[in-house]
Amino acid sequence: MEFPAALFPSYFGAGPPREEGGPAPVAGWGEHGQVLEGGLGRRQAQPAFVPRRGATGERWEAADAAAVPVLLPSAGCWIPSPAPQDILYRSSLCKKLRAGKSGATLDFARQLGHFFVDHPEDAFGSLGQLLHKNFYLGNSKLKRPARNSTIRMTALVEDIERLEARRGCPRQHLASRLRWFSHLCRDWLFEVPLGLLADCLHEELIQQWSNLLFDDSLTGGALAWLPREEGGTPVGRLVHPGGQAMNHLYFQDVVLEELPRARGSPVQFELSGRVRQVAAARVDGEDFVGVRSDYHCGVWRVPGRTGAAPVPLQVIRTDVPASCLTVSPHLPGELSVCTQSGTVYLWSVETGLQQLRDDPQTMFFRDHSPWRWSDFTAHPRVLSCADRTGLQCLDARAPKKCHFDLFKVGEEAGCQQGERVVLPMYLGRAHPSQYLVTTQFSMYVLDERLPLVPVLKWAHMMKAPPLFAHLMPGNPGRSHQVLLGASRTQELLLLQYWACFWGVSSGGSQSACQLVGTPQKLHSIAGCLQHLPTQLPHRQHLLQQRLAAPAAGLAATLQEDGLHKSMLVFQLSEAGDVFCQRLTHKAAQPPAPPSRDEATTAPGSSPLFEAPATLRYRRWLRALSRACREPLRHTWHPSLSQRRLFTRRDLEGPAGPSSLQKQMRQRLHQAMREGGRIQRWEPSAVQPPPLPQTLEPAEGPDPLSARLTAAWGGDWEQWWEERTSFSVAQRQRALRERRRRQKRTRGRRSLSASFTSSLTYQSELSELSDAGPPLVSPGRPPILSQEGSPPAGSPAVRSPPTSPAPDEALLSSQSLRCRGIPKERRKTLRDYLSVWAEGPPEPPEPPGSQASQLCIPSSQSQLSSASQPRRKRPRMGF
Amino acid sequence: SSYEHKLNFRKSKEACLSYIQDALLQKQWKRAAEFLTCYVESLEKDYSREHIGPSEMIWRIGTEILWHHSQSSMKEFNCFMEQMKTLGVKRYLKVCLEHVFHLLCNGQIDEAYQNLSLAESWRFGEQTAIQDKEMKLIEAYRGLLDYCSWSKQKNILLEHSEDGFSDLAVEQEMHGYFRKAAVNLKEIIKIPGVWDVFVKCYVDLLEFYGDHNEARQVLNEYAYNSKFPANPNAHVYLYQFLKRQGESKKSLISALKILHDIVPSHELMIDFNTMLQKSKKRKKRRLGLEVIFAALDYAGWKDNAKAWSCLARQVKQIVTSEKHLDWIKQEWNSRKDWWPAFHFSRYLAKRNWQENKSLSYEKALVAGILLGKDCKYFKYVSHQGCKAQLKRFRMLKKFVNRHNLVYLRISG
Repeated sequence: MEFPAALFPSYFGAGPPREEGGPAPVAGWGEHGQVLEGGLGRRQAQPAFVPRRGATGERWEAADAAAVPVLLPSAGCWIPSPAPQDILYRSSLCKKLRAGKSGATLDFARQLGHFFVDHPEDAFGSLGQLLHKNFYLGNSKLKRPARNSTIRMTALVEDIERLEARRGCPRQHLASRLRWFSHLCRDWLFEVPLGLLADCLHEELIQQWSNLLFDDSLTGGALAWLPREEGGTPVGRLVHPGGQAMNHLYFQDVVLEELPRARGSPVQFELSGRVRQVAAARVDGEDFVGVRSDYHCGVWRVPGRTGAAPVPLQVIRTDVPASCLTVSPHLPGELSVCTQSGTVYLWSVETGLQQLRDDPQTMFFRDHSPWRWSDFTAHPRVLSCADRTGLQCLDARAPKKCHFDLFKVGEEAGCQQGERVVLPMYLGRAHPSQYLVTTQFSMYVLDERLPLVPVLKWAHMMKAPPLFAHLMPGNPGRSHQVLLGASRTQELLLLQYWACFWGVSSGGSQSACQLVGTPQKLHSIAGCLQHLPTQLPHRQHLLQQRLAAPAAGLAATLQEDGLHKSMLVFQLSEAGDVFCQRLTHKAAQPPAPPSRDEATTAPGSSPLFEAPATLRYRRWLRALSRACREPLRHTWHPSLSQRRLFTRRDLEGPAGPSSLQKQMRQRLHQAMREGGRIQRWEPSAVQPPPLPQTLEPAEGPDPLSARLTAAWGGDWEQWWEERTSFSVAQRQRALRERRRRQKRTRGRRSLSASFTSSLTYQSELSELSDAGPPLVSPGRPPILSQEGSPPAGSPAVRSPPTSPAPDEALLSSQSLRCRGIPKERRKTLRDYLSVWAEGPPEPPEPPGSQASQLCIPSSQSQLSSASQPRRKRPRMGF
Repeated sequence: SSYEHKLNFRKSKEACLSYIQDALLQKQWKRAAEFLTCYVESLEKDYSREHIGPSEMIWRIGTEILWHHSQSSMKEFNCFMEQMKTLGVKRYLKVCLEHVFHLLCNGQIDEAYQNLSLAESWRFGEQTAIQDKEMKLIEAYRGLLDYCSWSKQKNILLEHSEDGFSDLAVEQEMHGYFRKAAVNLKEIIKIPGVWDVFVKCYVDLLEFYGDHNEARQVLNEYAYNSKFPANPNAHVYLYQFLKRQGESKKSLISALKILHDIVPSHELMIDFNTMLQKSKKRKKRRLGLEVIFAALDYAGWKDNAKAWSCLARQVKQIVTSEKHLDWIKQEWNSRKDWWPAFHFSRYLAKRNWQENKSLSYEKALVAGILLGKDCKYFKYVSHQGCKAQLKRFRMLKKFVNRHNLVYLRISG
């Protein structure tokens, strides 16, 4: 590979970037940059100059008016990720955004409020239960004696609402009652100390917000195209994630016809994490596909033959989320992995992991971002590693000693202040020693033989930083195509550049790297909305939301048949949709008559597609509306079978009806037969009926039955006397219980205080809120009084209790314990019962689908055995 | 109110800009031009203190449109550029430079020269650092154009001298160009940067006038000054200069050694290897082996038949002489875990055989010696070669079989 005989002139300086700057909307236009004399030293009449930017390039034109869906939307509705309005402080949002100066204000209070409402048990479980009686929820005024020990909550709520209404007016006099109340109960009311809870929530909010602003976990993109050649018809495989949680990996065969068409059903793997990145490289005629999720990375081998199934090779687990996975284009089964803790590994399927670097600090100056990246270079043993401040190359054989700086955010590359590396990519397929580096402002092409000085620099003017890039190398003597893609704005930009000629100096001109042609914007997924027929408002909104989902990946392929050359660009969205557009190559010519193509590509002027595209769209829309309607139907008829929670024996009532009941029933029957009437509910004999013995279990009857029984017996007054003395005893017991609880919570608090990290507390918290699976307790559990539950075939138990606070009786852990419900089940029961108050339950998680192919790796290596953050339901393999 | 008016004005300005941007990115030059005529209004109330103001935007967008618009002419372009130069003092030099670049790319060398001279004489108060740099570049490019004229005169003169008569006026003119070019070129190459073109021109001038010491100094400075980037071309120019000067092998080797240290994959490494292989000194032959092994580490050299034949020749030589097998052993040690998969896989054997028989011959020889006769690459290629009844490959098979034990000694 020859080095260009002469490079474009440029200044070289060292140090931090001097140029002040920011996003400049048109910075990439109208500049040649530099010129270079082509035929130096030749006997020519006139020297010929070539510009660094601005030479004519190839002409690519969009074949359709918008991108077209490749695959039908998967079943199950997509759950959009949080939008800014979900976590921003609402009232000041518009104002702040208009000013555009200060940062956004997060609505911390609202989120904390959501937590209290959504997880009341976790927020104030025990004390809430204890104090239940002291909170009055009615509208009427409280009477004198009750007022001493009870608060009327409606008044408080009214105050809060009034406060909400005049939010943003600090001068307003606040309700003293509110202040008094919060002052009084701030320290003890909460199950989890409020400060800690707030810390955790705040941390999470900030995380969510920064993800919204810029989510770098998607860097590299989760879409790959594996080209195949099959008897003339161009086919290929699309590797993409899907499913509601984007945790399914699909290998879908696609035939490239007029519109790419899926062939057969995809090979599917279920993984136990959201797929963040899919990287692929072809070595020795086989494709190697690396898949990265937060804590796992896996590698598949896809044999070159068509129809051959992908083979999962290996999986690794990381303690810290991985931020990068790239596949070696040189050696089969080699990958490089970076984690957010600053560790870089060379991962070989045969020999395992080799740590190349372990440094939590950034390389050239301090930057807070834990994002790291690594890729391969022209030398198979030399890897580049990158962070936001630049790139370095390491020799895997002696990573500590042998390294050099490839790119620095600084004066060396003429960077602007605040510029950061967003995506580095090895351009090996076009030129073995060239590298692409994108920042939020510019794109650079670097040659590792001339480190630090970019051989090409251009301001790309994209609204969001380009997280995805795809290279399509041109034939020798042709320009190479690079696609840049952004996530949030779905932007796609096509660039062309010349690198060295492969050894041939055709025309004898220079061969330094130059940007040719003009950058070209391609269709985004959301762009097709204007061409679609108008839908009903709510469906239009749904469609809009779906199509505007951030992009999650980018792939492309060149297709040549005879004279016709075209480019197919695939774009993946976070909702799992894959859209495609075709660009056709026009023979290079001086600016063509613009009238025709400008008219057809101007927005809004071409509502019509070609027929196959229209058909494709119609099918896609139908499938989408079908997929999104289904969960709605779920909400109408919540059907819950209690048999799932309790065995039949649990629900069985006491042994058959009592003798008294039998007697009464007999009398009723007799009276009905005789057509007579019962004058007095008196047994046939004169003596008073025996007191119902069966209704007095060891723990004592429920208040209503006891009262009724007493009234029946005629000594109601005596019962009342007893009752008052009993309630004293009960109150005493409650007090004792409360004291014990307080002791326990105090103990927990002191334990948590010994942890400095709030994260540990968070995990404890989530454990608390996560109920364990219901255990089957030995022995016959005692009866459970039911309220409101449908009599699902079980024998009727007893008359519903109408004690002053039925809910309390039903739900308080104390009463549940009284009823002998085992501790593990109390929470389940409470959740179960609260379902009736809250509405439909979440659909039960489908059992591990046996139909989908499980990934069973041949071996599993682990980065470390130390504990990692809790995951939900680890599945096999991934 | 006026505030609202201002706000609306800004909003519509932004909207207009985004339309223009959209049109540009879709190559709708005509549409962009129409919008730009509206955007010019933004110059009237330029309150912005942004990084790139409206006047710069208009310059950039206008230039881009005029480059591509089907109905634009060079005359219009020049006219537009002249207007743009008056729009902002700070950008005057930059716009001049870009204007010159465009003229140069369109072959209007004389107009470009005039523009450069004009820009050079421009003075406006104190210059900023950036303007200083731009001024230096303007001077350098003028130097380059002077050099081009000099070169043209020189060629005329040479032709004339072939015809047997000399032209004093042309010679005088040529010397004049030399002086002008030399002054300007000398200045820019003192500043750290990549100045390949300027250095080449300056050295050419110096060499023509016999100032070899100055030329050598300039090239040494360009190659070895640590403030300059590690530019491989600087070393290449120095090496070429030394070669032209007929310098000793030793100094040529030392120049290439440094190039090898900074860019082991440079194409001159083949020359370097041949030079070292011919050497009588053991150390140099050893270095030669290192150089060719290192070059073949790189993906760009994978299919380079020349490099493989260099390696094959040297390896064959070592094996037949049975001396210095340890050299191979040492080089092989750090590569034996990845070269087989990188160079000698069965897939590559097939492909190389199909695409380039002589490459596969050289590679098979190296593979047979380094990995033994059972190596996949060697087996496939020698089998195919024998099947095709090529004598060369039969000899190869014999040679490898005879020296099969070498592989045990190398890998052991």
